[in-house]
Amino acid sequence: MVDRYYMNYNDYGHLRRDPVRAALGYQIGPKSVITRPSGGQQLAGPGFYEVSGLAWSGGGAISRVEVSTDAGRSWNEAEIQGTAHRMAHTRFRLAWNWDGQETQLMSRCTDEVGQVQPSPSQVAEHFEGAPDPTYSVPGLDNTIQPWRVAGDGSVHNARA
Amino acid sequence: MRVLSRPWWTVGAPLALVMLLGVSALAQGPTYGLGRTPTPEELRAWDISVGPTGEELPPGSGIAAEGARIYRIRCAGCHGRNLEGGRAPRRAPRLVKTEPGRDVDPWDAGRILPYRSPYATTVWDYINRGMPLYQEGTLTADQVYALTAFLLFRNDVIAEDMVLDAESLPQIEMPNRDGWAPLPDWKPGSPRLPGYPF
Repeated sequence: MVDRYYMNYNDYGHLRRDPVRAALGYQIGPKSVITRPSGGQQLAGPGFYEVSGLAWSGGGAISRVEVSTDAGRSWNEAEIQGTAHRMAHTRFRLAWNWDGQETQLMSRCTDEVGQVQPSPSQVAEHFEGAPDPTYSVPGLDNTIQPWRVAGDGSVHNARA
Repeated sequence: MRVLSRPWWTVGAPLALVMLLGVSALAQGPTYGLGRTPTPEELRAWDISVGPTGEELPPGSGIAAEGARIYRIRCAGCHGRNLEGGRAPRRAPRLVKTEPGRDVDPWDAGRILPYRSPYATTVWDYINRGMPLYQEGTLTADQVYALTAFLLFRNDVIAEDMVLDAESLPQIEMPNRDGWAPLPDWKPGSPRLPGYPF
């Protein structure tokens, strides 16, 4: 019950020598994940699905969520359900008509501060000057989680 | 500054202002008809953090020799007889820097709490709140002071005969006292890192 970093054991675990890693290790940026369809689930076949997921941010309330159903080539505005509260999970959804072809589902969100959920490549570009999809981001990882939908309707972690 | 450890009007005008703003923000938020106000007893049970000033430390004292004896009985089973850390399946962390007797950079010595921690009070706080695993709360304050003294002595931080108590513990100068990056001064609406768009 404190009003600042208290330097008990919980803070000790976040200490870093490098100020960038210290800052990014303390507060989570805007993050979202599609919970349905998601890895391990199975689509019955081509047709209508509601893509649904959760978004949140250490910066405050979620102001916008976008969903891509074509592996990040195009992005659609998802509907935020209910009121987006600060520091709270926010449910979003998007209607999707699956044509039966293999694809990837992704979500990215924006918070009230204007911070946008990145791909690992974007973070690599920021820090290293060159994109790298396998980049291990410093601090808490708020990068986009892609789900691969196979032609048989099975859903897998596209990063695995 | 612990809000609960003393009356709020004694902790200074800036904090009082922050608290008033916080209260008014809460008052504007929606309520959901859930939960209840914690009782003073419940708050006291949760309110166990010991910060760098050591103001929350209880009475008691201990020295390294006594800590060594307690360590053998209560800690060595998981952390190893020579503080080398446990093997699978009980992978308790190593508790002594890799090259005792030498000045090792705390960031190169492994994640050794009684060596890397910037404050000795954190070592006391962690043992007191978290050890022994699954038997937390069974060590007396004297025993926690003694174990802290033993671990700090074995990491060349204090002399073998130093008596640790609420007075002396916060005054220990840890080797990593200034070796870590300052934490950002966040306010609501600040980005997590200036110039970083994500």
